[in-house]
Amino acid sequence: MNRVQNTKLILWLIAGLAAAVGVTRFIFGLGATTNLTDATPWGLWIGFDVMAGVALAGGGFVITAIFYIMKREEFHPLVKPAVLTAFLGYIAVVFGLMFDLGLPWNIWHMIIFWNPHSPLFEVGWCVMLYTTVLLLEFSPVPLEEFSRYAKIRAFLMRFRFPLVLLGIMLSTLHQSSLGSLFLIMPFKLHPLWYSEILPVLFFISAAALGLMMVSFESLVSHWLYRRKPETHLVAKLGKAAVWVLGIYLAVKMAELVWSGEFGLIFAGTWESYLFIAELMISVIIPIIIFSIPRTRNSAAGQWAGSALVVFGMIFNRINVGGLTMLRATGDTYVPSWTEIIISLGVVSAAALAFLFAIEKFHIWEQRPRHPETDKHAGASFDHTSEVWLGEPVVSARTKYSLAFIMSFALGFALLPGHKLESKGIETVVVEKARGGDTLYIDGNHDGYGVLFNHAAHIDTTRGRESCVSCHHMNKPLDRETGCWECHRAMYTATDMFGHDRHGSAQGAGLACGECHTPGLERQRSTAKQCDACHLDLIPPGSPIIADGYLAPAYVDILHQQCITCHREQAALQADKPDLALCATCHETVPPEYLQAAVWDNPRAAEFNRVVLPGPVEQTGADDE
Amino acid sequence: MSAAILTDVTRCIGCLECVAACKQANRLELDVPRYWQKTDGLSADNWTAILKKQEDHYVRKQCRHCLEPACASACPVGALHQTAQGAVVYDREKCLGCRYCMMACPYGIPRYDWDQPVPYVEKCILCYDRITQGQQPACTEVCPKQATIFGERDALIAEARSRIARNPELYIDHIWGEHEVGGTSVLYISDINLDFLAYTSNPGTRPLPQTTAKAMNAVPFAFVGMGGLMYGLNWIIRRRMELAGKDGTHED
Repeated sequence: MNRVQNTKLILWLIAGLAAAVGVTRFIFGLGATTNLTDATPWGLWIGFDVMAGVALAGGGFVITAIFYIMKREEFHPLVKPAVLTAFLGYIAVVFGLMFDLGLPWNIWHMIIFWNPHSPLFEVGWCVMLYTTVLLLEFSPVPLEEFSRYAKIRAFLMRFRFPLVLLGIMLSTLHQSSLGSLFLIMPFKLHPLWYSEILPVLFFISAAALGLMMVSFESLVSHWLYRRKPETHLVAKLGKAAVWVLGIYLAVKMAELVWSGEFGLIFAGTWESYLFIAELMISVIIPIIIFSIPRTRNSAAGQWAGSALVVFGMIFNRINVGGLTMLRATGDTYVPSWTEIIISLGVVSAAALAFLFAIEKFHIWEQRPRHPETDKHAGASFDHTSEVWLGEPVVSARTKYSLAFIMSFALGFALLPGHKLESKGIETVVVEKARGGDTLYIDGNHDGYGVLFNHAAHIDTTRGRESCVSCHHMNKPLDRETGCWECHRAMYTATDMFGHDRHGSAQGAGLACGECHTPGLERQRSTAKQCDACHLDLIPPGSPIIADGYLAPAYVDILHQQCITCHREQAALQADKPDLALCATCHETVPPEYLQAAVWDNPRAAEFNRVVLPGPVEQTGADDE
Repeated sequence: MSAAILTDVTRCIGCLECVAACKQANRLELDVPRYWQKTDGLSADNWTAILKKQEDHYVRKQCRHCLEPACASACPVGALHQTAQGAVVYDREKCLGCRYCMMACPYGIPRYDWDQPVPYVEKCILCYDRITQGQQPACTEVCPKQATIFGERDALIAEARSRIARNPELYIDHIWGEHEVGGTSVLYISDINLDFLAYTSNPGTRPLPQTTAKAMNAVPFAFVGMGGLMYGLNWIIRRRMELAGKDGTHED
């Protein structure tokens, strides 16, 4: 039974990590926990959790169709596991979607705000209804355990056939409509995957995947509980899958030929290799495996065939879901580990629920022995020697709880704190502006800087007295400190107080009580202000309010300083109407007389990370 | 009325006044480069941007306000919708954050508040509140060169045509947005090719909502058809079983 326990332990570990990431995602937002961008707004969570998830849960409608509609009684042992997998699959899809949706608490809006033109609206409704249908289809199984609910169970059983029929109808709709979602992106989706009949392809592939997912799940769960695999049933499903996969392949190829895109398969681009790989894994190799009777009936062949279809179709949904759009969008998207762990966590949670149901309810003809209540595990008391023999008793449940809590804590430890707090802003360290009378200020190094005529500003403003409006601080051992020394980051506020330096013997060597009032909580707000000791810190006439000594972002203060005055002067001086225009200060390339100083400077590469000599082809423009 | 904007790339001097006015009118924050902003100057805080192109050409990028918007047709809850004036606006109270609009847009316009725990979609709304009060959008109002002008769509197309006719050696004989994806409210004339504004150089004239409409119209038929097929199949199989002397009903 160790196989089950170890598997569960791993699943709990993954679930713990995912729980930590999940909590973080709701506190810090999608930007902090995913690598999604404005050009790639759908990533792994849609491609895998939703698109592949729904397709993987397709086993429910396929098996119920075979058993209840086509009356193939021999598949009876597979029906309950298949419905359970489908039910848990849909729950997992909706649960996973909660992480991806920006405003998941508004998901119920689909019930009252209708847009019937949207395929997503239709998918949403179908998933809602089908999950309910699956609940009603499955609930007689757990209700069997409680005799007092016998009447409800009998009532539900009476509606089994109409429920199954409704389930198949709803599945047809949303399995295909998931493909319809992408019809609206003809320019983004690669032509090998884009097709007018994408919904048809999605439906056929979901049916094929349904057959193979049920096989795969049966093989895995029987292996896990060391039971004899249902080889004969899997072989029959494999035979059926050959037909469905064959139809899928034929329709897909016919569509490509008909639309004149067949040649793209051999175009030699990375998409063409991706397409060939996907088709080999998901369709061609499995067809070969399940066509040959020897491999079809062998355990290895069944494992390989069903696993290939499952992974191949997941691959297909990820390709359609965004991977093959990267050429059109010009973006590069690789899911972050936090995205991957959430996806794995959702699968782990569903798998744990599946194993729970397998052990507790009458899903298999013969229930597996319950590993957690196995009396033979652990230690036993030896009465003659009056000692405990064997391993100490640590019940499986304790182990799982420990695993979950530890990986939950580990998850928080692994999360990159800086990335979470940064709000997507890369810290750009401001450097001292170079030059004398004219400064070239390009704080974010995008080659889109500002030429600041220092000399002219001294003359036009109130002469020497105006220095203090910019050089408004005297740092220790310095007079008229430059902006960049305190406003050190381009876009984020920086702390200009060195706490450790004040306390260390090499620095000021102060005792705590010299700044912090004894008896009060030691905080910045209750400590002595800097100018209480540094008497010369703020020169007279300085505009700063030294409260807390946090220096605002460089771009903020420069904007504030310049724009306010420029606007005032533009209104006053009729001969200078352009004074308040952004482009008056912001130029792409410095004027010719300065290019030698800026571009040809040996250190140009350092302070202009984007060096664009010659004609400027620049796509980024901001409004500094 | 059909509100529209005509941007003449040959007249734009790249002064960024439209960008500044847009920020002020829509109360947007300072634009800070974030790592998820990879495509162009647009961002959640920048609803319009000036793209610098070769030889001092400046192209203003903004929402095109398609006549048949893909984003509005994609939105499952109708948070994005077209107003009577033609502006495509956003109702953040309805939004559930699926970002299908961002996927659907052929011009890659809608942006997202990736840094927020409560994020919304951000895009140009053609200063909807201003145009309903008879004003023009903030961007066209401030443009010092009238490089971007506001008006009736038909009048602006006529104006664009006459500008091209008067100066055929300057302009490329094409009005971007007149027919693409069924026509857009934001139009461009230019002396450089502006195909880079869309994800494809050949967007065609078919409105994108029509691509999904065909599939959506088939939904009721697929639903009833599959139901009928399954029921019919079941009936035939049961009948055959009865004839073969087997009991067609099954318990559990």
